[in-house]
Amino acid sequence: MAALLKVDSLGISFGGLKAVDKFNVEIEKNELYGLIGPNGAGKTTVFNLLTGVYKPTNGQITLDGDNITGLDCEAINKKGIARTFQNIRLFSQLSVLDNVKVGLHNNHAYSTLDGIFRTPKFRKVEKQMDERALELLKVFELEGYCDYKASNLPYGQQRKLEIARALATEPKLLLLDEPAAGMNPNETEELMNTIRLVRDKFDMTILLIEHDMKLVSGICDRLTVLNFGQVLKQGLTQDVLHDPEVIKAYLGD
Amino acid sequence: MDKVNVEKQKIFRSNLITFGMVIAAYIVVEVMMKTGNITSLLKGLLVPLCIYSILAVSLNLVVGISGELSLGHAGFMCIGAFTSATWSMLMKSSSMPEGIRFFFAILIGAVSAAFFGFLIGIPVLRLKGDYLAIVTLAFGEIIKNLVNALYFGVDAKGPHFSLEDSMHLNMDGGTIIIKGAQGITGAPKNSNFTIGVILLLIALFIVLNLINSRTGRAIMAIRDNRIAAESVGLNITKYKLLAFTISAAIAGVGGVLYAHNLSSLQALPKNFGYNQSIMILVFVVMGGIGNIRGSVIAAVVLTLLPELLRGLSDYRMLIYAVVLIFMMLFTSAPAFMQYRERIMTALHGKNKGGKEMD
Ligand SMILES: Nc1ncnc2c1ncn2[C@@H]1O[C@H](COP(=O)(O)OP(=O)(O)O)[C@@H](O)[C@H]1O
Ligand SMILES: [Mg+2]
Repeated sequence: MAALLKVDSLGISFGGLKAVDKFNVEIEKNELYGLIGPNGAGKTTVFNLLTGVYKPTNGQITLDGDNITGLDCEAINKKGIARTFQNIRLFSQLSVLDNVKVGLHNNHAYSTLDGIFRTPKFRKVEKQMDERALELLKVFELEGYCDYKASNLPYGQQRKLEIARALATEPKLLLLDEPAAGMNPNETEELMNTIRLVRDKFDMTILLIEHDMKLVSGICDRLTVLNFGQVLKQGLTQDVLHDPEVIKAYLGD
Repeated sequence: MDKVNVEKQKIFRSNLITFGMVIAAYIVVEVMMKTGNITSLLKGLLVPLCIYSILAVSLNLVVGISGELSLGHAGFMCIGAFTSATWSMLMKSSSMPEGIRFFFAILIGAVSAAFFGFLIGIPVLRLKGDYLAIVTLAFGEIIKNLVNALYFGVDAKGPHFSLEDSMHLNMDGGTIIIKGAQGITGAPKNSNFTIGVILLLIALFIVLNLINSRTGRAIMAIRDNRIAAESVGLNITKYKLLAFTISAAIAGVGGVLYAHNLSSLQALPKNFGYNQSIMILVFVVMGGIGNIRGSVIAAVVLTLLPELLRGLSDYRMLIYAVVLIFMMLFTSAPAFMQYRERIMTALHGKNKGGKEMD
């Protein structure tokens, strides 16, 4: 079976600094894949390359057989990659429900004129969007907060809302950038279950960056370790975590 | 689903209040006019009140909803005014009924302003913050000065343009419509309070429904977080341009009302210059950025106030300034906003803030 995501020799330099160099990875459909490494290793940069925030200096990205290298963010999302951000980026003034409905934007469409004149199509599609958005919020136990302004949500819930919004775009591949950052052990435990649930319920393929080793070893099938912008180790989670080089990279941090 | 419906009803009610407020004000004024209880001063302000309200609503779409600072809205007003007045002059002697002629004048003013909004929006919306403000300010001034230098006439051979003087039009009989700095004289006075209020209601209808639709959500999402908006597949340029173009069209309609309210139309610093653009911005800021109803209230209060205080000559600007400060505090100061939120909490029994776009 061909991999859902295939990355070949991906690289980018910022003014001479090779932030990511010769990065390779293959992720199978329905896999839960972890990207780990010390701070500043280039993990978030890999996400930014995969989602079109940065254009790679070299290398190729293939999603489900499509070459998506060099496309912009909008196009890449439409091809099927959605993400969350290390520093939460919600639509802060919009309600929780509307944040998810913005995620539904491209797959539930009516025209601007339908919206202004409140046509039957507007009513129908809006109703579908409300139902779908509530379904998604329910998965994250956020439906009770649907009328809150996003910026008024507690921190942990904001992280979940970002995942719900990303899922609303119906991606093939979901990228999570440190989803457990700032959470206490209980919240992290709960988040692990939610991530597993997302994988199973939505038949999703997930690539996640995480520092919490308990979370990583608990849910990731395979891992790639990044160090100084390069792949240090790749393989099954337990093998990688017990690799002496990997341990050294982390202790040396 | 219940909460979603409650939220929807809240927005619906809020919009209803906005429309109701305008309609109530209209009825009160009409009654005052019928009973002769209105000063000629106030009478003369009725159409300008509609114009400024429309412009404030229009600018709030860009500043509050789309989150971009535009200082060139008087330029769009100017385009709407001159294109529509030119049309009305051309058709004045035709057999077209007056109502239909004015209807087309409104359409032409809106479409021309929208066209320019679209055109300058393409390069300008790539800029951010202060740069956008400076470029739109320059645009407004350029439009005003161009119109000031423009000569336009029509004869049997068709239209003639010149930026020199009326001789350079090389007219063979026919009529000169735009005479440079003298502008247009004799456009029909089709604007009145009723039409002004109807156009304001239409502007409100368009903007409020736009905000509470898929398109409005996209525009506000881009405002709140551009990178996140891109990451969920929104076309940033499209929605920024759409908001800007619709806003320009509505400002153009304000210009149409303006042009058909006076017997002579000239592009002056005070009507289409940057001071006017800034005045409109003041309405928007005072009414609360993103608060559409507030824009209308601020436009009305701040237009009426200097006139009502005329008797107090010396203290007039002082009181005006104090009112400005209090409005600013009331709509934008964090402490006041918290205070208002506390009142809302007490009323609704819950700490939340959904949308405040009303
Ligand atoms: N836009 C940028 N310009 C310059 N340097 C950058 C940029 N983005 C990331 N970097 C650099 O790339 C390196 C990797 O950063 P990042 O990917 O954020 O690391 P992390 O693995 O902690 O997510 C860092 O040294 C960072 O300073
Ligand atoms: Mg990072």
